[in-house]
Amino acid sequence: MGAAVDHVTPMGMSGGSAEGNDKSEGQRFSCKSKLTALVVDNGGVCRAIQTALLRSYGVETEAVETGEAAVELIASGATFSLIIIEMLLPFMNGPGTAKQIRAMGAQSKILGITAFFDRRDRQEFLAAGADDFIEKPLSPEIVIPIIRELDN
Amino acid sequence: MDVMTQLQRQWREHTAYLRKEGYLDDQFEQLQKLQDENSPDFVAEVVSIFFDDSEKLLNNMARALEQKVVDFKQVDAHVHQFKGSSASIGAMRVKNLCIEFRNHCEAQSLEECVRCLRKLQYEYSVLKNQLEYLFRLEQQIRAAGV
Repeated sequence: MGAAVDHVTPMGMSGGSAEGNDKSEGQRFSCKSKLTALVVDNGGVCRAIQTALLRSYGVETEAVETGEAAVELIASGATFSLIIIEMLLPFMNGPGTAKQIRAMGAQSKILGITAFFDRRDRQEFLAAGADDFIEKPLSPEIVIPIIRELDN
Repeated sequence: MDVMTQLQRQWREHTAYLRKEGYLDDQFEQLQKLQDENSPDFVAEVVSIFFDDSEKLLNNMARALEQKVVDFKQVDAHVHQFKGSSASIGAMRVKNLCIEFRNHCEAQSLEECVRCLRKLQYEYSVLKNQLEYLFRLEQQIRAAGV
């Protein structure tokens, strides 16, 4: 784990690892079909990181701050392969957002995400129509299998 | 050893130090992997957002705890957001303090919350200094490479 630091130069050129481990494999991975994603999170840091991670795999990604904005976007006709929704949004919460999105007939894969994993929150999110529920941070280990699944 | 090599070594050593001391975890490395020719300042940009958001959240927590009747649910919501952002950039010590803080919110213990907030403010400011030093080294490396 500590040795990995030597492979990362200050200019961010970390892809040249000779180890050929999962991490460098993650860099070359890219989605095959045209995939789109929507990130719904009131925090700028999480929006920026989740968007960048998805885009690094070739997924066309947008981000909004509220559940209401997500619903509005989808109501206007936008479709997404994947929607990642934070549990604790300021007005309409994560599950409420998922429920409305499903009610509009969206077939997207919905991933609930949260800072603190809680079983009741998970139940609520899944009952609202989410396909899965995870704790932050969003990682390649989570995203890559999802992309592979959506590609097929 | 030329200046560039020296600076790069300092950068590597400082990053290793931050990892060893638990200021940063693996997630920070994930961020570095997202930095490339298309987004050469990605890490600095995200960390800058983190600094702005964190300062707002810490202020909001402080104000919430000063109220006559403390709304612990509101404080918890701020802690939730802070934990999410710190976990996402790999700020391990800050993240762990958020976990502790949440327990105090759930117990509705004002004294413990206030104490935890102070620890959080301290850890955050130390992390900020450490990261700003790291970014200064990067700027020097870039300047040396021109």
